[in-house]
Amino acid sequence: MIQMEKNIVSFTNNTVTKELPIQINVENVNIFYGDNHAVKDVNLPIHEKSITALIGPSGCGKSTFLRTVNRMNDLIPSARCEGTISYKDVNILNPKLDVVQLRKEIGMVFQQPNPFPKSISENIQLPLRFAGVRNKKTLKDATEDCLKQVGLWDEVKDRLDRSATSLSGGQQQRLCIARALALKPDVILLDEPTSALDPVSSSKIEELLLELKNSYTIIIVTHNMQQAARIADYTAFFYQGELIEFGQTRTLFTNPEKQSTSDYISGRFG
Amino acid sequence: MKIGKVVTDAAPASRNRSKLINEKGFFSRLTDRTSESRGKLLIYGSALLMIVAVTAITLFLTIQGLRSFVVDRLNFWTFITGTEWFPDRAKNPSFGAFPFIFGSMAVTFLAALIATPIAIGTALFMAEIAKKWGAKIMQPVIEILVGIPSVVYGLIGLSIVVPFMRQHFGGTGFNLITGAIVVGIMILPTVASIAADSIRAVPDSLRQASYAIGATKWQTIWRVVIPAAGSSLLTAIILGMSRAFGEALAVQMVIGNVGKIPSSILDPSATLTTIITLSMGHTTTGSLLNDALWSLGLILLLISYVFIVIIRFIGKKGEKR
Repeated sequence: MIQMEKNIVSFTNNTVTKELPIQINVENVNIFYGDNHAVKDVNLPIHEKSITALIGPSGCGKSTFLRTVNRMNDLIPSARCEGTISYKDVNILNPKLDVVQLRKEIGMVFQQPNPFPKSISENIQLPLRFAGVRNKKTLKDATEDCLKQVGLWDEVKDRLDRSATSLSGGQQQRLCIARALALKPDVILLDEPTSALDPVSSSKIEELLLELKNSYTIIIVTHNMQQAARIADYTAFFYQGELIEFGQTRTLFTNPEKQSTSDYISGRFG
Repeated sequence: MKIGKVVTDAAPASRNRSKLINEKGFFSRLTDRTSESRGKLLIYGSALLMIVAVTAITLFLTIQGLRSFVVDRLNFWTFITGTEWFPDRAKNPSFGAFPFIFGSMAVTFLAALIATPIAIGTALFMAEIAKKWGAKIMQPVIEILVGIPSVVYGLIGLSIVVPFMRQHFGGTGFNLITGAIVVGIMILPTVASIAADSIRAVPDSLRQASYAIGATKWQTIWRVVIPAAGSSLLTAIILGMSRAFGEALAVQMVIGNVGKIPSSILDPSATLTTIITLSMGHTTTGSLLNDALWSLGLILLLISYVFIVIIRFIGKKGEKR
């Protein structure tokens, strides 16, 4: 079975030659929605300037976990977290933490592209305006820079004043990534960013992520195991709220330690 | 039982077909005495009645409203721009409706100016900040406020706002701004409730996007939610304005009813609706004044239509985005 899996997935860009320093360290994290114990006792290191993929069947807690890293779960009144996520010597789960500042450093991209119903340039500039940037030139330069980083500049440079909703789905998602880059975050969280897109747009996003990992730490939740195999340096397998296995992507896919990991990646369930 | 089954099975193909395809025309289907057709008749009938009613009212008002120009030979232009309203003068009565058109417009816009900030604030509180409390307590309270008859607002205006204005700004207290305040309070719940609905209709994904780029709650509301709700908020305000424009009773009780263009907001004034309700009772059908009042009614109707057209236009524009 594992032999077969090797033939299906191709490992292109994710051979980790040396262990990268740890940027975020997750220790004993438990997440509850009311009485529902959604994430159980997760321990996980996130390495700097690398892509970490979170895989697992629907409802396994991977998205919940991702949304905890920038405290987006705060928006859900019944959600509650325990444990430690250390980042820059602070615990992200500390209730006194300035979440607004945290989200400026840890950006997020969602499953459905969600550009603001404003112009393309305003979409990029809004995070900067929120952060207090008023200088017109700075805003203009940042717009160009961010759009270039996601490879959208040449496609939209003549229509920066047009509404962002006039773009195609794939373009909208790249715009959302550009928007997340505007504040030069350290970490970008992506929650199934390609699941609403067509294959061509998806592969464009994958290429983009491989480029971005040179400057940013990336955590991506994906349903698509081939995607994880193609782009991730590290992969974490979640099942029923537990982190079953974590390791370098190649190791996890070719030589998983746990039976359920092997079953999942070979498509026996999920 | 068994025989019956055999018979249906043996029925010729043409009979089966006649059950599937109704070859009767539209009207004969409508008059079919089956419950399906009766329901259809009821629904089509109601829709037709509605259209007939609207058309009839418009036609009737147009015919009556044009009498003063066609039969009584009043000049249309001097009627809508004239500022002298002396219908009772024995020698050379004059019909200048402009003070009333101006009064209606002034009350409407001032009322909107007073009501809009409070209504949108209330709506934001209900739909964004205290969602549970808003849905459980604020929503029913606002629905009650919408249902209070306008004469009650007029009474409150008469016994509270008028004395207040008299004490603090002099004069009688019956003036344009008093009318605008009373109508503003009256349309406030209408605007707030529609505005709250339009804020709730803003997709949550936009709020999430905003929070994810490090926006505070206030920034999210101000820069993302309000612009996204934009056109429907405008619809709420214009709907409130059209209600203010058509309000007669509450305004009449507090505005002073003087048919002159007010020189300040503290001067007494009158509106299209107040002059109609005040004067219509003591005119005889077919008299000059009676015809002139109908003309005022026609103007009122036309301006109301303009409000509706604006609302439709904004709604369409909102859909496109």
